[in-house]
Amino acid sequence: MSETMTVSKQQIASKRGTLSTFWHDFRQRKVAFISFLFFVLLVILAVIGPYIVPFNPQTPDYNHVLQGMSQKHWAGTDEYGRDVLSRLIAGTRISLGIGISSVLIGAMAGTILGLVSGYFGKWVDKTIMRICDVLFAFPDILLAIGIVAILGPGLKNVIFAVAFFSVPSFARMVRGKTLEVKEMLFIEAEKSIGAKTNRIIFRHIFPETIPIIIVYLTMQVGTAILAAASLSFLGLGASPSSPDWGAMLSMSRDYIGTAFNLVFFPGLAIFLTVLSLNNLGDGLRDILDPKIKD
Amino acid sequence: MIRSKKIMGAFLIVLLALVLTACSTTRSSSDSGGAASSDKKDKDINIAVNQDFTTLDPHNVSDTLSISATHAIYEGLVGFDKDMKIQPVLATDYKISDDGLTYTFHLRKNVKFQDGSSFNAEAVKANFDRIQSSKDALIASHYLQYLKSVKIVDDHTIQLILNQPFSAMLNKLTMVEMISPKALKDQGDKIGMHPVGTGPFEFVKWNQGESLILKKNPNYWDKGYPKVDQITYKSVPENGSRVDMLKTGEADFIYPLPEQSVQALKTQNDITVDQTTSNIVRYVTLNTNKKPFNDKKVRQAMNYALDKNAYIKVVKSGFGSELDSTMAPSTQFYSKQKVYNYDLSKAKELMKEAGYAKGFTAEIWGDTDSATMKGMQFIQQQMARINIKLKIKAMEQGTLSDAINTPKSPDDAKVQMWYVSWSPSSGDADGATRGLFSSAAFPPNGSNTAYYKNGEVDKLIDKANQTTDVEKQKSMYATIQKDIYNDAPWLFLGVDTNLSAHVNKLKGVYVLPDGSIQVKEAELQ
Repeated sequence: MSETMTVSKQQIASKRGTLSTFWHDFRQRKVAFISFLFFVLLVILAVIGPYIVPFNPQTPDYNHVLQGMSQKHWAGTDEYGRDVLSRLIAGTRISLGIGISSVLIGAMAGTILGLVSGYFGKWVDKTIMRICDVLFAFPDILLAIGIVAILGPGLKNVIFAVAFFSVPSFARMVRGKTLEVKEMLFIEAEKSIGAKTNRIIFRHIFPETIPIIIVYLTMQVGTAILAAASLSFLGLGASPSSPDWGAMLSMSRDYIGTAFNLVFFPGLAIFLTVLSLNNLGDGLRDILDPKIKD
Repeated sequence: MIRSKKIMGAFLIVLLALVLTACSTTRSSSDSGGAASSDKKDKDINIAVNQDFTTLDPHNVSDTLSISATHAIYEGLVGFDKDMKIQPVLATDYKISDDGLTYTFHLRKNVKFQDGSSFNAEAVKANFDRIQSSKDALIASHYLQYLKSVKIVDDHTIQLILNQPFSAMLNKLTMVEMISPKALKDQGDKIGMHPVGTGPFEFVKWNQGESLILKKNPNYWDKGYPKVDQITYKSVPENGSRVDMLKTGEADFIYPLPEQSVQALKTQNDITVDQTTSNIVRYVTLNTNKKPFNDKKVRQAMNYALDKNAYIKVVKSGFGSELDSTMAPSTQFYSKQKVYNYDLSKAKELMKEAGYAKGFTAEIWGDTDSATMKGMQFIQQQMARINIKLKIKAMEQGTLSDAINTPKSPDDAKVQMWYVSWSPSSGDADGATRGLFSSAAFPPNGSNTAYYKNGEVDKLIDKANQTTDVEKQKSMYATIQKDIYNDAPWLFLGVDTNLSAHVNKLKGVYVLPDGSIQVKEAELQ
């Protein structure tokens, strides 16, 4: 999707050529590439995880509670005798699901706002950007806690809360790009032949913003996973009995001194996922848009 | 660009100022709150507890932790010793008339309140008057429901006259502690924030949510006590932090000690772990006024589906015993019942008979404490075996209390199942029965959150109070327990073992069966 869109505007190079250049560049960046492979693994786990887990992640076994790491239970068992590894694998779906869906929603809303704001300018721009500034003023997690506190705990509300705080970042970024693109000659040409506003925005300006959206999307998913895990840790997100990583961390913190594996593995899962997504985002940014390098 | 830099600069300055003030406020409060930890003197002790105090008004206190604090500041005419036997405290002795209607107390002489005013019959009467005449019913007014009048015989003798015999009167009087009448007049409704009693410790400061500081009462009547200068109670909800505070010496005594840390602490040479009998019972109320819990078969099925041994093992880490009655064995007139032994097929059978073979969904409520969360998840797992799908709803303490106590009538109540515990601080059978099972105690008037109504039980509860014959009471309470246990308005879970830990050099601080911390005899060696 991303590649083809980028390509459609770079009319000089052939489609195949750009794709393979991209792939070549991407493979050069070892860290980003490894992160990408790890992410693919996570996605696969999220899809097939529930079918390959060695034990049922929800079935308690009161005769084998709080066991350490062993050949049978690679990551040990929790306070109800459930296999920690199975729960981690089953939890991949929840964590990735929340992360990706919330950021997609946020990106969608943010992109539309950004396009509108950048293209129309004047009071539309001012209004939207000032609202974004207000939202920016709150720390992300605080904003999310506030929203969940109003809507009540639960996964759906966490997704909404995380989506909500990602909106302004997308809006601002897309607006910037829109401001730049709308001054370009081909847009002026488009206007002069009488193209409708809708068409200009969505057929011509929007594709230009896709690379930066992709880059930011990747990085934001990491943030979103972290935020969702934090909310679950605080008891505002996933039901404590579900194998959500944040909820697992929260429930096991009483055992930090006695059964470190209960805390360590969910923490590690969150850490690695967020790290790989950030690295992947960095790599993509370098290739897709050298200009937005920090 | 320059302008925006200026704005940015101004913004940063404002931010810096905010951060600095924020720092300084936390600093000062932690200085006062943690005074004992930084410049802790030889005879100061720190006690870490898991909640915050709710009030220091002894006549309106309902949670056990706050009772711990009021017991340190205040005293009643009578009180409990270590085994919860009744002892005279501010009275030197008492006499109960043969008809059980008149209680005569001889008051201790030369006792002064912490504000210097004298303790005498006038003061006692003022306290009873306050409880009986207050506009918004104080919790202590439930204890005095049979009190007709208070008569001052002389300066140090007082008579309580009841309108019917009430066998648990003395137990209830342990919960009626004496406030200085002068302070009552000066403070009015604010007495809960500025307590003045006759107890071994007097109030210094209460940083809500953080700490409560008490200091030695130099004029305490019981010579030789108290033996420490200052007590600081710190609210530390996080289980692990409490344990760490004890290990590092920041706390001298912690309660509750989380079950899972017992083994680790036992290996420490300078720390002692105390396991004491408890009268705290753990249960889940089933709203008998709501479908499907209005069906006795469903309630019994749920009890049969519950593996109590696994509960003790998993949720309580092996500390505690199964609840085999409506009260703990250490409570007065306890009588053991035939327990609902874990029997899944019988449970399924009963569910089928009740027409719920396919099960149902329901909500279980509880607070956000990690031990409660653990318990609720356990119940969820157990009930899933008979197809009951439970949704866990964990609420912050205040929200939960509102949700339970706001409904005006049983039909408005939204509670279905509530994971909770109870301990009778007055130690008597009435305290473990009336407020929980009498139909007069539906919220907000009491804690009968199962909305349990059984005419026979109601009658017996009243009758048992009116007789002074101990044997008769015993048999009546045995019937009450049998009937209730059979009706199963609760999921009967377990009886706690009170776990606390202290550094070896601290002696004399102990936890009573109800879970209140006693500090009068505290001593550092």
